[in-house]
Amino acid sequence: MMDKRAFRTPVGDEGLYILDTASWRTTRPIMDKSTCINCGLCMAYCPVNAVKWAKDTKFFLTYDYCKGCGICAQECPKNAIMMEKEGEDT
Amino acid sequence: MTMEKRLVLTGNSAAAEAAALCRPDVIAAYPITPQSSVVEHLAQMVYDGDLDAELVQVESEHTAMSVVQGAAVGGGRTFTATSSQGLALMYEPYFRMSTLRLPTVMAIASREMTSPETIWSGQQDAVSVREAGWIQMFCESNQEIVDMIIQGYKISEHPDVCIPVNVCYDGFYSSHSISGVSLPGQADVDAFLPSYSKNYSAILDPNKALALDPMTPGNLLMKYRQNHLASMQNALGVIDQTDQDFAKKFGRSYGGLIEEYRCDDADIVIVTMGSMTGAGKDAIDAARDDGIRAGLIKLRFYRPFPAARMVNALKGKKAFCVMDRSVCFGWDKGSMYVEILAALSASAEKYSYFSAIGGLGGADISLEDFLQLITQLNRIKNTPGEHKTH
Amino acid sequence: MSYIDVIKEREDLVSPGISACAGCGGELVLRKVLQVAGSNTIVAVPPGCMAGAGVIGWNFDSGMKVPVCIPLLDNTASFLSGLSHVYQRKGRGDVNIVAFAGDGASADCGFQSLSGAAERNEKILYICYDNEGYMNTGYQRSSTSSLGSMTSTTPIGSKTAGKQQHQKYMPLIMAMHHIEYCATASPSNMSDLIAKVTKGLEASKNGFAYLHVFSPCPTGWGYDPNLSIEVARQAVRSNLFPLWEMDSAGMRLSYTNRSPVSVAQFAKNIRKFRGLTDDNLASLQALADARYQTICNLAGVS
Repeated sequence: MMDKRAFRTPVGDEGLYILDTASWRTTRPIMDKSTCINCGLCMAYCPVNAVKWAKDTKFFLTYDYCKGCGICAQECPKNAIMMEKEGEDT
Repeated sequence: MTMEKRLVLTGNSAAAEAAALCRPDVIAAYPITPQSSVVEHLAQMVYDGDLDAELVQVESEHTAMSVVQGAAVGGGRTFTATSSQGLALMYEPYFRMSTLRLPTVMAIASREMTSPETIWSGQQDAVSVREAGWIQMFCESNQEIVDMIIQGYKISEHPDVCIPVNVCYDGFYSSHSISGVSLPGQADVDAFLPSYSKNYSAILDPNKALALDPMTPGNLLMKYRQNHLASMQNALGVIDQTDQDFAKKFGRSYGGLIEEYRCDDADIVIVTMGSMTGAGKDAIDAARDDGIRAGLIKLRFYRPFPAARMVNALKGKKAFCVMDRSVCFGWDKGSMYVEILAALSASAEKYSYFSAIGGLGGADISLEDFLQLITQLNRIKNTPGEHKTH
Repeated sequence: MSYIDVIKEREDLVSPGISACAGCGGELVLRKVLQVAGSNTIVAVPPGCMAGAGVIGWNFDSGMKVPVCIPLLDNTASFLSGLSHVYQRKGRGDVNIVAFAGDGASADCGFQSLSGAAERNEKILYICYDNEGYMNTGYQRSSTSSLGSMTSTTPIGSKTAGKQQHQKYMPLIMAMHHIEYCATASPSNMSDLIAKVTKGLEASKNGFAYLHVFSPCPTGWGYDPNLSIEVARQAVRSNLFPLWEMDSAGMRLSYTNRSPVSVAQFAKNIRKFRGLTDDNLASLQALADARYQTICNLAGVS
């Protein structure tokens, strides 16, 4: 693939540059759906857009890129998100 | 032959008229002496409705170069002009224009660099940025300014080149001197210079998501530089070819990379660049009248440096002098002189030669100056080696 | 459609994994801005935290799903001016031309080109994410660092502590350029921020739009990453960062602060303020009060 490159104007046109930011995490957010009121503030404030929404489950957390900053837990008006140490049983 | 308009124009107006003929999409304009009337002239054309172009009246040369950079990235043909301190201010986006490989033409009405405080002629501005990856050429006459701006786009946009071009001419001596010029017809320029969109489209376009200039590690950066260097060498051939193509269409040839004047049987040669060439040629004629076999080489393109043609043009001569309108600090010589010696390398020892520096800060390089150089060359021509800087 | 619906349904156009610090205000705002802007957008991100975090890309990969470039630190607005002109000329004025630049690239060395583009009323949405310093290069002072801030070039020394000057109030300077739209926004007030990005994009079809966004920085300022929104909230409530917008109809206050918190309250858990003297605090408090009053006066709020 490299041989085909002209190396003229520097462009990145082959794909998306993605880092494994999940590996940074020391704590992970856990959502208690029974307390959640689906207000969506966790999604609004998540810097990495790790909070997703689906018709059936409404708002839920994903962990592929979550850096474990804890903003969602801090901002949840119902304290429905807790931060737990990464690596421990959840 | 073609329909041309015969006009009496300053060098700056000639540059502006020629730029307009090349149908730029975006013109960034910022005034600086002695270039100001280029952008004034273009502004008048746009305001009168005679030129359909986006005129961006910027607040600095740094922005002028940035605007044409953004416009080129958007797929537009661009033009701007500057001098001296303006060129120095735009150095940051200037370097990037060439390393992003964006074609454009920028006129430089060359001017001495401050200090001491000056606004007058000198080639130190353009010469000082010769390592910034642009093609740089220097004009002798107002007609050459017109023709080289048109050729400049052709060279810059050539697919094997794709490097921005400076068309330089001496501040005041050329920028403000009036002479008759033939202005090619629009249809002929259109036929000579294909529309920009034929070879170039927007690099940044929502129709194709990509990154322009992502972070690049050194081993890949070297490949980009390698391509740039190779394209610079490609330009050597493209420049000479463009000169011939232009001559076929418009009837004027300048010799491409260099012009040789009465060099065929010459013993001694003066090398010049820019408007000083006129006086130089007069001096050669006078020397010839006195039976001295003198000739002149006008260096037209400083980047890429036409090393092979220069060496070839000097072949068989006994002595040469290089007249620089700029200095090469640290060498105690003129800039062009140092480069010509580099081109000659070991073969230089066959010649008697010296560096002459003049015309800084607007000082005149007169007929008498050249006659003196010729006398000096004639005296040393049988004593090979480097002689004292003049 | 509520703002939650907007961000819930719009695609995230930034690479999902970029190396911004945990809790970064800049990353939060960038992702939301692009969700609102959508795919018919070209983005310029000059050197700074976001570019450093990889949103331009690496090697042959891009950091975004829309065309993105890294202009020079000091030519974002002028580079985009040229790009915008070509797009207008091609009849493609529908394309969003967006700058996402830090305070250094906007208020310091990029200020001239920004001011020039604003004066020419170029069709650009320029967003300054203001984290009050050169965070990407190790948190050095900028002209928007606030008085007393500890930075790596205004350290807590034995003789002098923190930045000795007040911050430059960029948004009002930009408003005085008579641009199409000018506003401040904070990630703590996300509904307001999303609305302003929407308005800014619309305004950028007619002229220059400028959005100055408060961008809290846990790493450079010294607070726990989970507190980013709270810090932004306190900045708004202390009146150090009042929320307002201005267009041809005039200035409007976006958040009426009926019970301000003190600057001391805002500053108390942020490590960069640990060298604040009582004089500093009094001066900052006076600045916050005056700033809010100025905006109220301009907005015709008594």
